Amino acid sequence: MPALTLLRLCERSILVVIFLTMVALYFVSVLARELGGQVASSFAWIEEAVRMLNLFLVFLGLGLALERGRHVGIRNLRDRLPETLRRGLLKVTDVVGLGFALYIAWLGWGLASFVLGTGQRSPTLGIAMGYVYLAPVAGFLLLALRYGLSLFGVIDRFSDAEGAE
Amino acid sequence: MILGLIVILAVLLLVLGFEMFLVLALPALAYKGAFYPNIPDLVVVQKILGGVDHTTLLAIPFFVFAANLMGSGQIARQLVSVVKALLGHTRGGMGHVVVGGSMAFGSVSGSAPATVAAMARMAYPELRRSGYSDRFSLGLIVSSAETALLIPPSITMIIYGWMTGTSIARLFAGGLAVGLVLGLAFALYVNFVARRDGIARAERADWPTRLRTIWAAKWAIGMPVIILGGIYSGTFTATEAAAISVVYAILVEVVILRSLTLRGLFEVTEQSAINTCIIFVLLAMGGLVSYFVTLAQVPGAIIGFLDAMDAGWIGFLLVVNVCFLIAGMFIDPNSALLILVPPLYPVAAALGIDPVHFGLIVTLNIGLGMITPPFGLDIFVASSTLRKPVATIIAGVWPFLAVNLIVLLLITYVPQISLFIPRLIFG
Amino acid sequence: QEFVAKIGHLESAAQNRHIHLEKVAALVSERTGGAVEFQLFPQAQLGDQRQMNEGVQFGSLEGTVAPAAFLGGFNPVVSILDIPYLLPEDEAAAQALREGPFGQALLDSFADKGMHAIALWPNGRKHITSNRPIDELGDFANQKFRVMDSRVLIEQFTALDASAIAIPFGELYTALQTGVVDGQENPLDTIETMKYFEVQNNLLVSGHGAMEDVVIFSPIWWNTLPEEYQAVIQDAFIEVIPELVANKQAAVDRALEAVTAAGMNVRETTPEERAAFREATFAATSAAYVSLAGEPGQALLDIYTAEYEALAQ
Ligand code: NA
Ligand code: NA
Repeated sequence: MPALTLLRLCERSILVVIFLTMVALYFVSVLARELGGQVASSFAWIEEAVRMLNLFLVFLGLGLALERGRHVGIRNLRDRLPETLRRGLLKVTDVVGLGFALYIAWLGWGLASFVLGTGQRSPTLGIAMGYVYLAPVAGFLLLALRYGLSLFGVIDRFSDAEGAE
Repeated sequence: MILGLIVILAVLLLVLGFEMFLVLALPALAYKGAFYPNIPDLVVVQKILGGVDHTTLLAIPFFVFAANLMGSGQIARQLVSVVKALLGHTRGGMGHVVVGGSMAFGSVSGSAPATVAAMARMAYPELRRSGYSDRFSLGLIVSSAETALLIPPSITMIIYGWMTGTSIARLFAGGLAVGLVLGLAFALYVNFVARRDGIARAERADWPTRLRTIWAAKWAIGMPVIILGGIYSGTFTATEAAAISVVYAILVEVVILRSLTLRGLFEVTEQSAINTCIIFVLLAMGGLVSYFVTLAQVPGAIIGFLDAMDAGWIGFLLVVNVCFLIAGMFIDPNSALLILVPPLYPVAAALGIDPVHFGLIVTLNIGLGMITPPFGLDIFVASSTLRKPVATIIAGVWPFLAVNLIVLLLITYVPQISLFIPRLIFG
Repeated sequence: QEFVAKIGHLESAAQNRHIHLEKVAALVSERTGGAVEFQLFPQAQLGDQRQMNEGVQFGSLEGTVAPAAFLGGFNPVVSILDIPYLLPEDEAAAQALREGPFGQALLDSFADKGMHAIALWPNGRKHITSNRPIDELGDFANQKFRVMDSRVLIEQFTALDASAIAIPFGELYTALQTGVVDGQENPLDTIETMKYFEVQNNLLVSGHGAMEDVVIFSPIWWNTLPEEYQAVIQDAFIEVIPELVANKQAAVDRALEAVTAAGMNVRETTPEERAAFREATFAATSAAYVSLAGEPGQALLDIYTAEYEALAQ
C-alpha cells in the first residue's frame, strides 16, 4: 500500500521535526537569557510554544505506536489463550479501539470548533487555541485508522509487540 | 450495582490485554454515562488534553530523548565503563551503580519517569552482563527511580508546599534524608541479592587503567557536568536542562564521536517520540479518571470514616498510607496528590503531625504509586524504553515494593528521620 | 436543592478566596431557602484555570472565581488590569472604580465570550522580590524577572530595562534559588505561602499590580435561574467584598510580618517612586494592551482614563 507508506513517512517526519524544534527552541531560550536584556524578553513566548508542540508530539504518534504494537498492556493471559479464541479477542480489541478512537476524535473536533468559536487565544503567542486543540483530533484519527486496518487484516499490529523477543 | 459492573469491565479489559489507555478510559466513560449524563461530553476530551498539558511534564520527553541518544551512541557505554572501573570490584557492583545513578540523576530531573528512561537505557544491559536476573534488573531500575522525587529538587514537594504552605526548603532538606534512607534500603537489598545469587565481582582496576578509562570517556563525563553545573549555577531550569542534555548528546554522538549518523539521529528521534507518546497517552487518560474521582468526592467519604474511627495520629497515618496506596494503584500519583492532600492535611495538622513529616510521607507514597501495579507509570516507561512485557517488570518489582513498604513504615512512625536535617539547618 | 453549581478555583481551602466563597455559599443557600447550592472545588481540583474557564463556557462547570491574569486569552479586554498602577492606591477610590462604569464595562466585555461575569473581587496587589536590592527605579535594569504569560507584563519589565522571563509557577521557587531569574512579582501572601522569602533577599513593597478576581458563571446555568435567585447570588458576592478586603489586608499584614521576621530586607516605596514607576511604564503597557485588545480595549481605556481623572480631582 503506497498510500500507507507515504502516510507513515509523513508521520515520522512530522514527529522528528516537532521534537527537534522543541529542543532547539529551549536551547535558544537559554542562550537568549544568558545574553540578558531585552533579547531575553523577546523570547518569552518559547515556553508556551514548546508546550503546544508537545501536545502535537504526544498525540500524533498514537497511530504509529499502535501499528508497531508499542502501547502498553498486560498480555500474558491473552497470549496463552487457544489460537482461535485469541484471534477473536484481538478482533474485539480492534473494534472497541476503533470505536473509542473515533468517538474521542469526534469529541475533540467538537471541542476544537467550540474553542475556535469562543475566540480563545494563547496568552503570549496569541495563537487561536482551537487550532492547538486539533492535536488530539488528528492523533485519535490516526489511531482509529490503525485499529481499522488491523481489524481488516491490512496490518499486523501484534507480531512485533513488545516482549515478543 | 452499576459501579460494580464498571469495576468488572475495568478488570476484564485489563486481564484480556486491552491497551492500557483503553483500560483507563472506557470505565471512565461508562462511569460518566451512568452518573454524570448531564455534564457535556466535551469535558472528556478536555480532561484528556489536561492530563498531558502540564509544563512540569515536559522534562519527560526530553530526558527520554537524551537517554535514547546516549544509549544508541557511546555516552552511556562510556559512563558505565567509568563507574565500573571505579566500583566494579565491590559486592553488588552494577546494582549499586543503578541506585547511586538514580539518586544522582534524581538530583537533576526531579522526575521519576525521566530517571527510569535514562537509567534503563544506560544500565540495563550492563546489569544483565554482571549476572543479575532479568526480573531483578528491571525491578531495580524501576524502583530506584523513586529516589528522584525525594532527593531535591522535587516538583512533588513544591506542589505539596504550595497546597499546604509548608516551607519548601525544609521539605527539600527532609527529602534528602528520606531519599538517602530509601537508597540505602535498596542498596542493602542489592547486597543481599548479589550474595544470594553469587554475582561475581570484577577484578579491581588499577589507577592507570582507571585514569585511561576516565580520559577516554571525557565527552561522556561532560554530560552530568553540564547538567548539574547548569542547574546549580542558575543557567537553566530542570526542564530546560533536559532539552540541553539532548543538544549536548547530539553534539557528542553525531558531531564529535560520530557514533551516530544523521539517519541514526532521525531514527532515535522518532523512537523517542513514540516512547513519549506511549507514556503520555496514559497520563492523558489518567487526567480523565482523576476528574471523576474528584467529582465523586471520594476524599470527603474518607474524612467521614476517619472521624468515625477516632484513631489518633498512628491510626490516621496508617489510613493515609492505605489511601495513597490504593489511589496509586489506579490513578496517576500526581493526581492523587491534588485530590487527597487538601482533605487529609487539615486532619494531620489537627493531630499535631509536623507538616514536613506529613509532606515526606506523601511524597514517598507518590513515588510508591509510580511502581505499584496495575497502573504504575514507571513500569510502563521501562516497558516502553526496554521493550519488555509489563508483566515481567511487575514480577521484578514485588521485592522492591516490600522494601519500600518497610521504609514507608519507618518514615511514617519515626518522624525524627524526616525532621532531623531540617531542624539542624533551620532550627 | 433545585440548582447545584460546581464552583472551582485555584487557591487552597485555607486562603481568602475559598473562605469567602464559603460565606457566599451560605448566604445564597439561606436566602434561597436551600434552593441554590454551591459545591466548591479549591486548588485546581477540577482542572487548571484555562480548563475551568472553558468548562464555564461549554457548561461542564457552573462557576469559577478566576484571577484576571488567567482570562486574557479568553477576553483580551480584561488584560487592562495587568497595566501597572491601574487602580488608585486609595482602596475606597479603587472600589469606586470597580463599581462604576469602568467595572461594569469590564464585566460586560465577557458577555460575548460565553461567560457571565457578575463581580470583581479584589485580591490584593503585587509587589517585587529580588536578590539584589532595588533602591531606585534604575536598579531594575539588567535584572531578570519572572512574569506570567502576559504580553502587558512582559512590556512592564521591558519598560524598566529589565528582562521578562517565562517560568512556570511550579518551577519558580527553584529558579529563584539557583538564580535562573533574579526576581519575581506576586502578592505578599503568595510570597509567604510559596516561601519565596527563603530564596530571595529583598522585598520592594510597590503595590504596582492589581490582583483582581473575576466572578464568572456559565451562562448555560445562569439562564436557568429565576431572576430573583440571580439577584441573590450577585448581591451576596458584592456584599462580602468589604469583609474580603479586610481579611485580605489582615493576611497581607501577617505575611509582611512573617517575611520580615524571616530576615527579608523590606523596603516601602515612596509616593514619588510609585509615580515614577507608573510614569515609566504606563504608556508602553497601555500600548501593548491596546494592540492586544483592539477597539474594545481602547474604548475601555478611555472610560478608565475619564474616571481615573475624575477620581483624582
Ligand atoms: Na529530585
Ligand atoms: Na501505581
